[in-house]
Amino acid sequence: MSWLLHLYETYEANLDQVGKTVKKRSDREYTLLPVSHTTQNAHIEVTIDEDGDFLEAKVLEKESTLIPCTEESASRSGSKVAPYPLHDKLSYVAGDFVKYGGQIKNPEEIPFDKYIRNLEEWANSPYATEKLKWIYTYLRKGRLIEDLVAAKIIKLDENQKLIEKWDDKYTARLGEKPPIFSSGAAETSSAFIRFNAFTPDSPEDVWKDKAMFDSFIAFYNQKLGEQDVCFVTGDTRPSTERHANKIRHAADKAKLISANDSSGFTFRGRFKSSKEAVAISYEVSQKAHNALKWLIHRQGKTIDERVFLVWGNDNNPVPNTDEDIVDMMQHSGREIEREPDTDKPYADQVKRAIAGYRNDLTYQAEVNILVLDSATTGRMAVLYYRHLTKELYLNRLEEWHKSCAWEHRYRKDEEQFISFYGAPATKDIAFAAYGPRASEKIVKGLMERIIPCIVDGRAVPRDIVRSAFHRASNPVSMERWEWEKTLSIACALIRKGLLEKEEGEEWNVPLNTESKDRSYLFGRLLAVADVLERGALGKDETRSTNAIRYMNSFAQNPGRTWKTIQASLQPYQAKLGTKATYLSKMIDEIADQFKDGDFNNAPLTEQYLLGFYSQRRELYKKKEEDTNE
Amino acid sequence: MRNEVQFEVFGDYALFTDPLTKIGGEKLSYSVPTYQAIKGILESIYWKPTIMYIIDELRVMNPIQMESKGVRPMDYGGGNTLANYTYLKDVHYQVKAHFVFNEHRPDLAFDRNEGKHYSILQRSLKAGGRRDIFLGTRECQGYVQPCEFGSGEGFYDTDERTQYLGTMVHGFNYPDETGVNELSVRLWPVEMKQGYIEFPKPAECTIVRSVREMKPKLFHSDDIESAEQLLRDLGGE
Repeated sequence: MSWLLHLYETYEANLDQVGKTVKKRSDREYTLLPVSHTTQNAHIEVTIDEDGDFLEAKVLEKESTLIPCTEESASRSGSKVAPYPLHDKLSYVAGDFVKYGGQIKNPEEIPFDKYIRNLEEWANSPYATEKLKWIYTYLRKGRLIEDLVAAKIIKLDENQKLIEKWDDKYTARLGEKPPIFSSGAAETSSAFIRFNAFTPDSPEDVWKDKAMFDSFIAFYNQKLGEQDVCFVTGDTRPSTERHANKIRHAADKAKLISANDSSGFTFRGRFKSSKEAVAISYEVSQKAHNALKWLIHRQGKTIDERVFLVWGNDNNPVPNTDEDIVDMMQHSGREIEREPDTDKPYADQVKRAIAGYRNDLTYQAEVNILVLDSATTGRMAVLYYRHLTKELYLNRLEEWHKSCAWEHRYRKDEEQFISFYGAPATKDIAFAAYGPRASEKIVKGLMERIIPCIVDGRAVPRDIVRSAFHRASNPVSMERWEWEKTLSIACALIRKGLLEKEEGEEWNVPLNTESKDRSYLFGRLLAVADVLERGALGKDETRSTNAIRYMNSFAQNPGRTWKTIQASLQPYQAKLGTKATYLSKMIDEIADQFKDGDFNNAPLTEQYLLGFYSQRRELYKKKEEDTNE
Repeated sequence: MRNEVQFEVFGDYALFTDPLTKIGGEKLSYSVPTYQAIKGILESIYWKPTIMYIIDELRVMNPIQMESKGVRPMDYGGGNTLANYTYLKDVHYQVKAHFVFNEHRPDLAFDRNEGKHYSILQRSLKAGGRRDIFLGTRECQGYVQPCEFGSGEGFYDTDERTQYLGTMVHGFNYPDETGVNELSVRLWPVEMKQGYIEFPKPAECTIVRSVREMKPKLFHSDDIESAEQLLRDLGGE
């Protein structure tokens, strides 16, 4: 159940995806990064020809580029000089940077010197590729800025110095503002340059060329640190103390593994340094983090920076815990029945949705569930991790959708409301319990609490059910559509709660005319009153019925409130005349079913919502049938 | 031999911190306790320097579940910081273990009385242990009681598959128990079969990583007082 190990295995299982750029619908790109590589937004692209001469350059619009990186450069910050091995900022890669007025923080340590030494070592190593050698040949000449100026990419001021920021005063002398000044680079010297080498034989761009990735990986591999026991795999391999950040997105500083004991009580006591406490191999750290980043981009869901991730080890899609049946149907490419025949066993619909993922339940197919979040900017925590067989996971998911289920009508599909049966999406549960304006913080907290209910079959926390119940009992506080949604979700939660009781009561959507439960009967009465009054009101009259308006106090004092409701029904009964006979009769029939002494003022239990929903549905269905005949 | 002990240990939460998340990150529990954690629990029940515990087997009774909590750990610089720690929830284990005499304490050879230690251990266990029991970390209170190892129903009883739980820390080799002036950490690949985890003996662990040199603390006869002496001092018979 080691999460790092499973991430590492996921990487190994998807080696064919390494370096492949995939575009998301939102036009954002993501890649399964090769080891020792990262991504950066490039601002300028410089192309070198086969003789190691400058060919052309162009300004890019913030293009994400896959670049090689060392441990040091990946975590460089502040004034530290730590060049990337190949593509880097102008201040690192231009040999004539100082000549054109570039500022160097420490004259002892010129960034270009360090950069070109590193590049030389790589270019002269047995792992070097032709393209790399051309780039090195060119950069060694130290004339990048000169060439970029000649190519009119960057501009010099009257003292032949680099213009760091564009000022309107230059416009008069130098003409239009060149695009590089609006490319996103804060200053010209921090513009990120990527190099390409053009040759007809191998048209692949340098940053997409697998030969280039492999070249750097092989070169860097022999420069790695000491061997140590890896706590994830148990093998002895070159280890690392630096771990990836930018896990959730490019601006994310939080790390999953970090070592810091100059502040904070962490490992101190038994160990003197973090190295004594633990070791992890460079390869495992890189691959596990890269796989995680890739998975988050591919199928993670982020709510207020909290990441919810479900993935399988067999590359087949797995349903998410936070989806409802409609989502699942859509993801598995199945048709949704618009108006399902509601009285046949509902479980079919759920079964069919999940069956889509069951197709090839190969041996050892497994599912991982991971939730990540950070409390502070620097550190990230695994809030939840679970590893289980796919079959068990799907069974649990099916169980959840069968037990925490009701009939819902709030989902829209092609501009039409559809009715579906199953468990509501966790996000919708949050809105039902805390209102549609619930902050993302609350939503993410609830989602994390619901996951164990789904995956481990735990009971839904009472506070969530109570909260949804109370909101559903108070329809006047919200708009109609919102109340309807809250009502069906509350019913789903209540149903699950009752199933979990020791006696295990099962309540279903179709009306139970046998039940003598007083709350259920009261709920039914309320529904009949609602339907009766609604029927008497014209189509244009959209105001709430008395039954709905008194719902909240009805739940508290049913006996007394019912008198009020019944009294206010009389004008409508009169208006409808004989049309109301059926419903009036029904009220008497339901009232008849009360056991002695049950018709009192004790607050209603949650069952009354079920009775209300089922009775109302039954009446409307009957009406439809009547009109059809 | 009368040196075996069987007991169950349970609690609402447990945090057997994965060392990777301990050195500066946010603590996350291993999915099952380490050998060393169980040894610590046993030593809380009853321990004397004369004896050394060997943990034989562990049985995981409840499903492995996690729950995170927001905590406010102390900061060296003063005050607190914010963190999310992830605990195991609702844990229940059965343990089978035994004790042996610590051969590296020849000064305590006079105390090597198997029956005595066995009886005290059983009595201590019945009383719930001599010291506080905690599951991995101090904030996770645990409870122990005697039980027959393997009795009762466990969650993983019917799980036919062998679950590989990854490489985990087994425990530490302390100089006073190994006779080697070195602190080292043992790792092992953990497998769980129907909830049972059989621990290899410390000497059988193949992955051993040296941490640093360490000398055992030395004791002299002036440092320790025998029970007989104490009894005499107190004026007993």
